[in-house]
Amino acid sequence: MLVVRAIHASDLDALIELAHQVGSGMTTLKPDRKMLGDRVAIAVASFAGAIPPEQRDYMFVMEDTTCGRLAGVCAIKGAVGLDEPFYNYRIGTLVHSSRELDVFTRMDTLYLSNDLTGATELCSLFLHPDYRSGNNGKWLSKSRFLFIAQFPKLFTEKLIAEMRGYQEEDGSSPFYEGLGRHFFKMDFNHVDHLTAMGKKSFIAELMPRQPMYVAYLPDDAQAVIGKVHTSTAPARRLLEQEGMHFEGYVDIFDAGPVLQARVSELRAMRDSTLAIVDRCAASLDTEPLLVSSTSLDDFRMIVSYANPVDGKLCLTDAEMALLNCASGDQVRTLPLNVRKNVHVEAL
Amino acid sequence: MFVVRPVELTDIDALETMAAVTMPGVHTLPKTREKIAASVERSIASFAAHVDIPSEESYLFVLEQTATRAIVGTAAIFASAGSNGTYFSFRNDVIQQVSRDLNISHSVHALTLCSELTAYSQLSGFYLQNRSTAGLEAGLLSRARLLFAVLAPHRFGDRFFVPLAGVTDKNGQSPFWEALGRKFFKMDFLDAERVIGGARNRTLIVELMPHYPVYVPLLPGDAQAVMGQIHSDGELAFSLLTEEGFEADDYIDIFDGGPILQAHKHALRTFGGSMVRSVVPAETGRSRSPDPMVTYAVAASSEQNFRAITVACPAAEGGETLSLPQDAQDALMVAPGDHVICVRI
Repeated sequence: MLVVRAIHASDLDALIELAHQVGSGMTTLKPDRKMLGDRVAIAVASFAGAIPPEQRDYMFVMEDTTCGRLAGVCAIKGAVGLDEPFYNYRIGTLVHSSRELDVFTRMDTLYLSNDLTGATELCSLFLHPDYRSGNNGKWLSKSRFLFIAQFPKLFTEKLIAEMRGYQEEDGSSPFYEGLGRHFFKMDFNHVDHLTAMGKKSFIAELMPRQPMYVAYLPDDAQAVIGKVHTSTAPARRLLEQEGMHFEGYVDIFDAGPVLQARVSELRAMRDSTLAIVDRCAASLDTEPLLVSSTSLDDFRMIVSYANPVDGKLCLTDAEMALLNCASGDQVRTLPLNVRKNVHVEAL
Repeated sequence: MFVVRPVELTDIDALETMAAVTMPGVHTLPKTREKIAASVERSIASFAAHVDIPSEESYLFVLEQTATRAIVGTAAIFASAGSNGTYFSFRNDVIQQVSRDLNISHSVHALTLCSELTAYSQLSGFYLQNRSTAGLEAGLLSRARLLFAVLAPHRFGDRFFVPLAGVTDKNGQSPFWEALGRKFFKMDFLDAERVIGGARNRTLIVELMPHYPVYVPLLPGDAQAVMGQIHSDGELAFSLLTEEGFEADDYIDIFDGGPILQAHKHALRTFGGSMVRSVVPAETGRSRSPDPMVTYAVAASSEQNFRAITVACPAAEGGETLSLPQDAQDALMVAPGDHVICVRI
């Protein structure tokens, strides 16, 4: 049985083991005991409410309760860019126009920005390959939205997620080759490594400070601006279903898109509901439903096939055990899948 | 003998003939009779004008072969490059990128659209027939403009610059334009030069050209390679100007990336080395001085009746006088006792 829950200090060893599976490309989950140990400590303090909201880093793990293994991990960072600058390129537009010559030129422009400073960030999503089946990936990713819907006051109004940018099969980044390399004089992998070491802002100091016309870049670099890595495309779709969208901010190295949403406009804020747990013999055969506990320090979540009726939700003993709750407790629910709404589909 | 003098209305026919054979890459000469006439009239008005502050005046000089009275070259100087606008150029900037934490330090070359040359005086329109066989008259033509500026400093700025045509291929394509200007103007290089009339002080430049620095490493290799490089037709002018004291490297043209040579007047040989002397007749025959002869560019010391020639005469550095043969006096329209300005050439 799987459960998504707040991370515990005792999960560190299992988390390091999981991080070994991650490989390059994910900069926030390197199998480094010091880095991960610090992060888990902050996460535990976050769920305990022991540190201010903007310093919090809520880490969730997906645990296989049958063997105690960690199947996956994901996180919500309370606010980015408050310790060190958080850089993105904003894609802007400059129009160059001459009435006299009858020339009207619309130019895309990259502005180095710290605009997303202070936003809440969804990050560090990783699911072990052994568990990449069924609804697990979707569940793990979307668990964060239900958490936010339960505790919206803990977060800033702006929610972001950085998506891994497009790479060639050999791991090179056309955007980096067309832009960053000229300013950093180092390989993309090395930049990636420094980013993982928390030195991204140092690297950003080497970036040109002035806005740059996209038209100066080689065609292949222009073509991948705002494009995700092929393996990241499904993750992008999941986030977009939940109300996140690309608003023209991209990563300064690989031009991967930043998806954004206002917390109040998330599907989870609109569609999630509270229900009272009721013991029940067996789940009804219906659509998968995310069900979470409502306590910050023991946040737990399952996927159930129960159907809330009149504010009551029938759960099995096993499900209640996973949620660590009893009959009469309050839970929050959200259909895992976006409702099959004919009108929306038609759009 | 050659003489440089202000253009006159009677020169229009000759200028029109000359304009018909100039090659692509030279955009500084007006092409149509109407425009030629306008520039001649503007020059005549400029010479006649009483000037307090240099502004829209433009002075056009011609090189005349005295024997045939044929016009074989032109050169111009604009009192103020911006005239009634702003003169745009790209400034070569070097941006230092330093990260102490990463122990990285390197410099990035960037081009910034600037208007710093606006109040400079601009040398322009240097054109010489038979430039491959030209002798001293090339230097005379180029330098006469500066001699005039020495005589009439109030008509010009303290700094001077000269844009030289950049590299274009035989089809008139400019690699620098392809990488930059085309993206904003959406037209061929020669079409753009035609619509703008070779000017760099038009408002539409600021409407269309990039306001932010152009990072040179982002430009294609062929565009980078021609930055600050001259068109092969400009080699003569380039060597004359660098000898004079002009320096390249600080600015380039916004269209073709050609070099813009510039200098403060105090750095120019014509300003630093020119002398005012009074004319004495050259001794002839047996009484001729045994001193070695020195070649000077000499101009009549008159703003309103400016004429310049080259002449070999005894060194004048040590005395108050300059010995001029009769034909030189005639060409300059001076007589013994008149003052002239001269500089070694």
